[in-house]
Amino acid sequence: MATETSSEQTNKDNNDNEYVLEVNDLQTYFVSKWGTVKAVDGISFKLKKGETLGIVGESGSGKSVTVTSLMRLVPSPPGHIVGGEVLLEGQDLLKLSDKEMEKVRGDKLAMILQDPMTALNPVFDIEDQVGEALGIHEGLKGNTLKDTVIEMLKKVRIPAADTRMKDYPHQLSGGMRQRVVGAIGISCNPVVLIADEPTTSLDATIQAQYLNLLNELQEETGVGIIFITHDFGVVAKMCDRVAVMYAGKIVEQADVREIFNNPQHPYTQALIASVPKMEENVDRLYAIPGNPPILSKPTLCQTCDAPAPVLVEHKKDHWVAKCAEDSSCPGWFPRDLD
Amino acid sequence: MTSENGALLELKNLKKHFPVGGNFLTGGHQYLKAVDGINLTIEEGTTYGLVGESGCGKSTTAKMILQLEDPTDGEIIFQGRNALDKKSGAQKEYKSKVQAVFQDPWASLNPRMRVENIIAEPLEVNTNLTKGERKTKVGEIIEQVGLHSYQAGLYPHEFSGGQRQRIGVARALALSPKLIVLDEPVSALDVSIRAQIMNLLMDLQKEYGLTYLLIAHHLATVRYMCDKMGVMYLGKMVETADTDDLFDNPTHPYTQALIGAALPYHPDSNKEENILQGEVPSPINPPSCCSYERLCPDPENSGQTIGYKEVGPNHSVAIAADCYDDHGCHYFPRVRQ
Repeated sequence: MATETSSEQTNKDNNDNEYVLEVNDLQTYFVSKWGTVKAVDGISFKLKKGETLGIVGESGSGKSVTVTSLMRLVPSPPGHIVGGEVLLEGQDLLKLSDKEMEKVRGDKLAMILQDPMTALNPVFDIEDQVGEALGIHEGLKGNTLKDTVIEMLKKVRIPAADTRMKDYPHQLSGGMRQRVVGAIGISCNPVVLIADEPTTSLDATIQAQYLNLLNELQEETGVGIIFITHDFGVVAKMCDRVAVMYAGKIVEQADVREIFNNPQHPYTQALIASVPKMEENVDRLYAIPGNPPILSKPTLCQTCDAPAPVLVEHKKDHWVAKCAEDSSCPGWFPRDLD
Repeated sequence: MTSENGALLELKNLKKHFPVGGNFLTGGHQYLKAVDGINLTIEEGTTYGLVGESGCGKSTTAKMILQLEDPTDGEIIFQGRNALDKKSGAQKEYKSKVQAVFQDPWASLNPRMRVENIIAEPLEVNTNLTKGERKTKVGEIIEQVGLHSYQAGLYPHEFSGGQRQRIGVARALALSPKLIVLDEPVSALDVSIRAQIMNLLMDLQKEYGLTYLLIAHHLATVRYMCDKMGVMYLGKMVETADTDDLFDNPTHPYTQALIGAALPYHPDSNKEENILQGEVPSPINPPSCCSYERLCPDPENSGQTIGYKEVGPNHSVAIAADCYDDHGCHYFPRVRQ
């Protein structure tokens, strides 16, 4: 309790180095009659004000379940957050009642979803959808609400915001729709913004526009961003720190340059080596053999059969998942090799 | 067998216009020009990459090559013969020599068929092989794509995404085709699996002398796999060149923007940022080209027809024909925000 109050106070002092979000040993399991899937299995990370943390991983690695756990939107049953802490400005979100969580969600902690077509409601106009959170969390009404909506749409560079806000989602292009979703995300000045693959459904030139917009918004507001992606290009462009997720665990975490220049975990190394580069022509790419493991079965390291990793600090702030029993094993890396 | 210039497939002024608007009595009054007069030549044993953003017409082009859409105008020449000639009976042969691998390995395999039947189906339709011969052939193909013969009796849901895409490749290989149209073959796969499939496709190409048409939006994939490439924009080809040449000397402003918008491969990569503003205009009534470049003295009345200028060996770039020579204005309509 004492630490919570002290961290709240330092945040009020606007200490830029203070962590706005701390996740400790988060565990989210999905239970069914066929077994328990440990989708997120004891992960920890921290986020500073104005910083962008990239969570990289492929489908099934647990990155989306991690952020839905932060938002407390894991469907239950079958999903259960079985342990850990999520400290947003020192307050443990996992201890809040559903009512209290509603006040945080969309306010201090907001999210931009992947697909702007399904994230927006087709039967309400843009003004209603951007204004919804502002009405609930900030209590804005009437002309003040309208002016704030216009202001938010201008922030995400929607031209002629005062007329475009009367449009319905289908009248906007994909890039414009994703900007509207972004406007909803930032409308209540969140402390942490979660962006779950916000550009995968956008074309390359529109993606570049959108990523630059997110960077500008971060500079203006100092929001901390958690960026979920499977694309190392997005990581290189957007992130300050990177956590690489694999089989429900973070297998490597470090500063973005450290990850690219000095990757330690075999999965990180393999991923970086297997991505073709536009800047140079290679004769043959490294292909990672096999498939990711099935999480309802024990995940044993392919080199030394260790069931779970231990995080080792390779150098300051650079963590790598190693196998405790076998010091010669390059890293905990379970893989289905058939 | 190829035509005299070594081309396996040639598209000549190929067009596909879809009627839109109007009603069932009067018919369409307007046309969406999905593909509007493209030319390309694919040489035997090479890979041709077609890139562009969604709506540029690259998938419609692929569908016309696969004869899933009838072209509005233009020619498809395959091995020196007109592939659109419906009378000659060459249609069946064409369709067995041109196969496809689709983007989504979840949607493109019938969930109720066993893998062996999925791969055997093209053989059943197009060849006179007996059941036993088909089974042997299927067993061979399964091994070629890196699966095990004991997996032939399984259903698609029992495989991972990468393995499913291997099944898609096996089905395309069944009839020993000449040309395979690869429509975004890796974009639905996980990053750790993509290199496996790209390498498999390149190995098969070397072994069987296959020719590929690769449709992709990811430029690095195209650079890795393709010998030549074309950039499409709004139904037109705006630049064609040898792949390395195109990446080293992009000439059309859209190609430059596409390369500029691609993500860096390293946080310190000092890649020149060239963020294109605005959006692609509607292909129904696209504005004239000069709405972007503003070099044209008469933007209202020019830039609707395009021509091509050779800027190097095998390297041509679209220009507004009306501005040709005088200004060198590139064909590039764009909606400003």
